[in-house]
Amino acid sequence: MQGNPGPEWEDASSIAASVNAGKIRAVDVTSAALERIRLANPGLNAFTAVTADRAMARAVAVDAMRAAGQRVGRLAGVPFAVKNLIDIKGLPTLAGSKINRNHAPATADGVLVQRLEAAGAILVGALNMGEYAYDFTGENIHEGPSRNPHDRTRMTGGSSGGSGSAVAGGLVPLALGSDTNGSIRVPSSLCGIFGLKPTYGRLPRTGSFPFVSSLDHLGPFARSVRDLALSYDLMQGVDSGDPGCAARQPEPTMANLMSGIDGLRIACAGGYFRQGAFPEAIQAVDKVAAALSVSVEIEIPEAARARAAAYVISTTEGAALHLQRLRERPGDFDPDVRDRLIAGAMLPAPFVGKAQKFRRWFHDAVLRLFEDVDVILAPATPCTAPLIGQKTFMLDGVELPVRPNLGIYTQPFSFIGLPVVAVPIPLPGGLPIGVQVITAPWREDIALRVGYALEAAGVARAPRPADVMAEE
Amino acid sequence: MTEAVDLDSFIGSAAGLLGISLDPAWHDTIRFHLELTLHMARLVDGFVLSDEAEPAPVYVA
Repeated sequence: MQGNPGPEWEDASSIAASVNAGKIRAVDVTSAALERIRLANPGLNAFTAVTADRAMARAVAVDAMRAAGQRVGRLAGVPFAVKNLIDIKGLPTLAGSKINRNHAPATADGVLVQRLEAAGAILVGALNMGEYAYDFTGENIHEGPSRNPHDRTRMTGGSSGGSGSAVAGGLVPLALGSDTNGSIRVPSSLCGIFGLKPTYGRLPRTGSFPFVSSLDHLGPFARSVRDLALSYDLMQGVDSGDPGCAARQPEPTMANLMSGIDGLRIACAGGYFRQGAFPEAIQAVDKVAAALSVSVEIEIPEAARARAAAYVISTTEGAALHLQRLRERPGDFDPDVRDRLIAGAMLPAPFVGKAQKFRRWFHDAVLRLFEDVDVILAPATPCTAPLIGQKTFMLDGVELPVRPNLGIYTQPFSFIGLPVVAVPIPLPGGLPIGVQVITAPWREDIALRVGYALEAAGVARAPRPADVMAEE
Repeated sequence: MTEAVDLDSFIGSAAGLLGISLDPAWHDTIRFHLELTLHMARLVDGFVLSDEAEPAPVYVA
């Protein structure tokens, strides 16, 4: 699993250090990334647009700034790409849809793109995703599925499937995605990479296409925890364009990333989070727990109901967002998305009000748990990557549809906006699978510290796929 | 009670209220998802909360 040694597997921090030190030019890094995308993307289908001209122009500018003795930033020369629901100036923001292809090109980049580029990073393109982010599979009827670099017959997970594929396949070291119910953590798990879903309201969503505003988060994917932390630090800060963005000053995490886990109280989520999971999901959590010497198990109250409430809010708020498109262009939706949204539109409103009241109750109940623990561990997905096209799987002895159920363990936490780092756990002879490292609101620093400790111990690692260049 | 509801009729009526034209070929899938959504909604609805329980989203003027 450790084939393909080469610069494409360097992490963002390492690339930026080399560019800053003058050991390599941003132009060379960018050219190599674009070539890698050209060769590997036909097999992975991770990208829906490659911004080669823009990337090369930006790389030339970074090199010129450095040659002139100017600061080029902590992500200087780092290629990155974004889920195609984030605005890229000059391109329509597809959000995985056919319908949005008719939208006017974005007139500005999304705020997070602007912030990464201000730090010297180089945008190389837009990434495939499940239509309108209502997806856990990474499949897309319009673009074709993004493919898992570890086995191209298997799902990437969604909805940020292109982000998972591009980072795991070594096309870029850094990508952005969104997570409403698990769409960063599910692809991180199935593709075997690190992902950060920050606290709800931490990173501004300005310049991105919404799904469920009251649950939508943006965040990074990477192949190392230090890259998650670095990019996250550089993206923090209030933006008035997003009413959901909290009025908090940035709280950088890099300085304490290597502080270790001494003194942290860590527990595994029991009950709901151990029911239904395939053996590999439990094995991964147990491996992490053993590495952290965790023996405490806690019950998260009403987790199944929390997942149900997240489901209700998502389907109804999503339906409200798309109602006019469902009236005017129903035939242009992915049928799997359309039919769920139509069903959501039909749910009587009192159920939604109750779900929002339950959300507050669940928030308060879980925050009481954080009086006794600092970190909760839980599986990220119930299984490793299913086959592309697979419609059902068996959970707890019941045959259930894959699309809505890959996120059963992620939904309860995004429902109340908790920060989560998904860490990849390679298992012997099998596909990778992720574990969620969950902390109290605004304590991304702790989740990242734990993730870093697991990576340093060799327990969490983004495995390299055997070969993503070969044709099927 | 919900068991007595004719979901097939409800889907047709609700689509009319919402102004959505349904292709008959979509009906069974929509019904499947509506049943799943109702299952989730009933699970939440079955949880007893006080009248004073505050919803999660709070508008700030």
